[in-house]
Amino acid sequence: MRNSGGIVRFVLDNKIQEVDFEKLQLSPTTTVLTYLRQLDGHKGVKEGCSEGDCGACTVVVAGLNNRGTLEYKSIDSCLVFLPMIHGKQLITIENLAVATPSQMQLHPVQTAMINHHGSQCGYCTPGIVMSLFALYKNHTDPSRETVTDAFTGNLCRCTGYRSIIDAALDVCQHPAGDHFSAQEEHVLALLGEISSDETSLDLQSRGQRYLKPFTLEEALLLRSQHPDALIIGGSTDTALLQTKKNITLSKILDLSAVDALKFIVEDHRKVSFGAGTTLQELLEYANDRLPYLRDMAAVFGSLQIRNVATIGGNVGTASPIGDLLPVLLVLQAQVRLMKKDFQRDMPLRDFITGYRKTALAADELISMVWFEKPGKSELIKTYKISKRKDLDISSVSAALRLTFSKEGKISRACIAFGGVAAIPKRATQTEGFLVGKSWDRATAMEAAAMLPAEYTPISDARADAAARSIMVKNLMIKFWTETAGKEQIFNASDYAK
Amino acid sequence: MLQIMQNNQPTPQPHHSALQHVTGQSVFVNDMGFGGQLLFGRVVFSQQAHANIRSICTQQARAAEGVVAVLTAADIPGLNQMGPVVPDEPCLATDQVSFFGQAVALIAARTEAAARKAASLVNIEYEPLPAITDLGRAIAENSFLTGPRQIATGDVGKAFENAEHVLNGTLHTGAQEHWYLETQSCMCVPEEAGQMMVYSSTQHPAETQAIVAQVLAMPANAVTVEVKRMGGAFGGKETQANHIAAWTALLAHATQHPVKTHLFRDDDQMMTGKRHRFRSEYRAAYNANGCLLALDVALHSDGGAALDLSVAILERAMFHIDNAYYIPNLRVTGQVWKTNLPPNTAFRGFGGPQGIAVVETVIDRIARTLHKDAAEIRKLNFYKNGQSTHYGQQLNEVRLEKLFGRLTDFSHYPALRRETEVFNKENEFIKKGLALTPVKFGISFTTSFLNQAGALVHIYRDGSVQVNHGGTEMGQGLHTKMLEVACRSLGLPPERVIVTATNTSKVPNTSATAASSGSDLNGMAVKNAIDKLISRLAPIAQSLMKISTDDALVFADGKVAPKGHPDKGIAFDELVTQAYLHQVSLSATGYYRTPGLFFDNTAGKGTPFYYFAYGMAVSQVQLDTLTGDHRILKTYIVHDVGDSINTAIDLGQIEGGFVQGVGWCTTEEIKWDDKGFLTTHSPDTYKIPGVRNIPEVFEVEIARDMPNPGTIQNSKAVGEPPLMLALSVWLALKDAISAVGNHQQEPPFDLPATNDSMLKWVEEMRKLQ
Repeated sequence: MRNSGGIVRFVLDNKIQEVDFEKLQLSPTTTVLTYLRQLDGHKGVKEGCSEGDCGACTVVVAGLNNRGTLEYKSIDSCLVFLPMIHGKQLITIENLAVATPSQMQLHPVQTAMINHHGSQCGYCTPGIVMSLFALYKNHTDPSRETVTDAFTGNLCRCTGYRSIIDAALDVCQHPAGDHFSAQEEHVLALLGEISSDETSLDLQSRGQRYLKPFTLEEALLLRSQHPDALIIGGSTDTALLQTKKNITLSKILDLSAVDALKFIVEDHRKVSFGAGTTLQELLEYANDRLPYLRDMAAVFGSLQIRNVATIGGNVGTASPIGDLLPVLLVLQAQVRLMKKDFQRDMPLRDFITGYRKTALAADELISMVWFEKPGKSELIKTYKISKRKDLDISSVSAALRLTFSKEGKISRACIAFGGVAAIPKRATQTEGFLVGKSWDRATAMEAAAMLPAEYTPISDARADAAARSIMVKNLMIKFWTETAGKEQIFNASDYAK
Repeated sequence: MLQIMQNNQPTPQPHHSALQHVTGQSVFVNDMGFGGQLLFGRVVFSQQAHANIRSICTQQARAAEGVVAVLTAADIPGLNQMGPVVPDEPCLATDQVSFFGQAVALIAARTEAAARKAASLVNIEYEPLPAITDLGRAIAENSFLTGPRQIATGDVGKAFENAEHVLNGTLHTGAQEHWYLETQSCMCVPEEAGQMMVYSSTQHPAETQAIVAQVLAMPANAVTVEVKRMGGAFGGKETQANHIAAWTALLAHATQHPVKTHLFRDDDQMMTGKRHRFRSEYRAAYNANGCLLALDVALHSDGGAALDLSVAILERAMFHIDNAYYIPNLRVTGQVWKTNLPPNTAFRGFGGPQGIAVVETVIDRIARTLHKDAAEIRKLNFYKNGQSTHYGQQLNEVRLEKLFGRLTDFSHYPALRRETEVFNKENEFIKKGLALTPVKFGISFTTSFLNQAGALVHIYRDGSVQVNHGGTEMGQGLHTKMLEVACRSLGLPPERVIVTATNTSKVPNTSATAASSGSDLNGMAVKNAIDKLISRLAPIAQSLMKISTDDALVFADGKVAPKGHPDKGIAFDELVTQAYLHQVSLSATGYYRTPGLFFDNTAGKGTPFYYFAYGMAVSQVQLDTLTGDHRILKTYIVHDVGDSINTAIDLGQIEGGFVQGVGWCTTEEIKWDDKGFLTTHSPDTYKIPGVRNIPEVFEVEIARDMPNPGTIQNSKAVGEPPLMLALSVWLALKDAISAVGNHQQEPPFDLPATNDSMLKWVEEMRKLQ
């Protein structure tokens, strides 16, 4: 089946569904949630917040991975535009149980939720069950940490979660096959039918235009032809303009299907992440290899958000509280900008030019982010302080890096904070002060005392300016306690060990 | 004569909708359709905290695509009023608005998007007036909703004169947003002869019915309210679900189309009231042992712009100012202040948490000044049987000592205390904290006449049973418990009984499902109806079995049999068929009112509660004093629910209530700016507990062998009391902050203890060193 440009195709209810936006007079930025809610058979998916903070709308998307099998990922359907699931299988709560004429055969995760009394009012339950389903498909005998990570994007106001965690630990201990495993060949065949060519989608309806390329060449071409289009990677930030601010997104360039932007390459000297690398892919890669990135990615949004949000999106948004930005700043990361027949590297520090502003030219795309790996004689740590540890926006985020001379003195210091200025920013004076010093308590305390003056925090709903200044100061001390002091480490990955 | 056999269930019955919940088949109001005729409602609300309305221009909105109706106050056929207790809340603002979020106009459109667009086209011209958005300012400017009230016992003045030790202070406790997952929603369907069918997500169908009737100028009998289930409520849908029902009914009435309104999350947060924030000034006298001699408290409650249930909420705070402690000389005064914020409303605990937080602070401070473990001071002050509360209710079944003994064993409290101390000596920046707190919670509506309930039970000719009762299902498992009460009374398996949606045409004039009273009241009403049916069926059964009318019968296992002769029984459905053929009515209403309750407001004395529910918790926390991050390492709870009707449901209430309380105490912080705009208006900035905010070790035990005679199946209410056990986490955090100063100073501390607040308090502690 060929892409006919204006039609989005995906598998739902074991069939290929075709959505012709123009014919249906449907907005191409219709979210998966809105689409499902207007169908008769998919009202189990719930709207709880329209911003990816509650997970009541969680559905699972299955797509082909590079091993040629299906990979099941939980997503917040309120943040994902329907064209983003083109070529994938969409699985909702209604698809889990199998109805036979005589009875309904529940999916094991549903039975576990009932047996463990994991639902009370039932409103968050479809989303919880879908997160549990994705966990079940991806893990055998997961740790408590893995289980709770699967649910950080699902709020439940009734149960207190214990019963849900127990249901998950129980059912995932010995996951058996299910009807999805049995149907996998069939679904793969359907997906193959959909994505047999790589012609870009060009959806035009209700005054909006949605461009979805599948190759980098097409992406660059569309970028040069449509410099006014808003670029999205995972749309977890952009979708809010529509759902929360009611802004019509007139033109979108969706890079989520450009496989050429999805890679992680590491050699002895440097690590490169394709701009389309999702935060979850980054987290899984960083896990044992790059602890400073792992610690930040582990508290980035929720699994549903990390499954779609991209490193390119986080960098391109240039938010003052962009979680990855401080650590990338101290890593002195380079952003690779690409246009047709040309590419250039630019230090991230120069790339971010102001509050949510970048040096990206109108015909360029971010193709990758790379940095040189810190040496063995370096200390590097990242921190995020937020009101709630998981699925929250930082009040203050930080990355601190020290390089030592042979004599054991600090030879270079890189310190960057987010959330305390219009952009994520280095602390140049404190960095200067640290050079030549011994990394001892007195140095740390002195550096901590001078740090707050380098920033201009504001008071907002998350924290007030005074508290933010304390955080800035304290994080320097914390860095010391965790690298030179004797304190036990206390961070997200420490949870429930 | 009749003996009913107990169904011994080895595993608790799952929630009666569990299957629907996990398969996505549960229908909530917003899932209901109505074909092509359905219109979507939207509320246009005030963007000012306090202002005169100069003009409302709806012309553009009316002309917008898809818009069917735009209504303002002038279009209300009945009374423009929706105050639940006193008429101080206009349904739609007329010439003035008194809070940001107050409804001004209504829109009905063919699509949700069209309604949303049209809302932005309603042009309201305001003339701003000075707004009070701060409780302190309301007090300073004497802006109040009610005059002061007082409850007192003993001689407080004298007790303070003679006291060895006195302490005083002020405690601020914060507001809390309900954050039910399902926002306020309602669908209204106009029916023939001007009648209105209302599908509502309300805890109080009878009141919703009354308010809809009032705004439409209809008699109550023309309005039917049905509640299938709510996606959480927690008190937030006790009165404020009436609002969206009234607005939706107005639109349905005006358009003569079915209309559905489902509030957008941010709108819900901005428009609806919260848990009342309190400022509490206290003074306590105690002796060198830590025995509380006197307590004098002034509670200042922020009522918002209208009264709602604030008086009853304040009253409950005053009733719970003693919590679990006998205080011979006690005076509590309270007043509800008026601010330009959404009218605050019921929220699980209903004033109890605010009152209890005060006395727990007092005990905590006494322990700190005497350098003793606060748990010891608590135990020393526990009520004993025979003692009376400050409002004169004698306590006879006090379970505090028993729970304390079990909890300190179960949690290894002394070892936890030692471990905490050792850890704190060894760590400079990470501190642990430990606290044990009890709860004694009065069960009954304190407005005594509300303690009544009704039921309607039908037995159909095939022997299947339908149970209707006045209570509503919001996730708490009420229908499951009612199902179990019916099954146990009739000796039927759960498949034979259905509990239907709550409907005002089946059971009228009910009270709200609130005050933890749902099972107590409705359970007795259901049982009453079934008792009537059994007394009608018994003679038929006895005659069929040819036994005397004096012979006892047992209803069990789907059969009716003479006592001691289960083999001689007849099937229940056969009995039902015979009863029908004998022209016996197989439908009965049930009714219950709680006996012996009264309270004299003027004297401040009476017996407002039928009984008390008790619980106790130990929590240990770990605080990173550099980041303000905390972990709840361990929580142990022992809770008294009498003889549990369903242990799984009770456990769910205890755990869920506790975690909701943890939210109030820690991450949930509500901020309004000085213009009365709610800056924390979405889950982006308003953080309820997530899966990783629960205790890492979380062990809850339902206290055994503690029946509560005189209630349905000797059970106790469980909805609200566990929420207050979260104060153990709050005071454990204080203990951790106190450890920064080696417990030599009283730390600054308020509620909630957010990470940024705790950083500031730690900073102050460090400066004191």
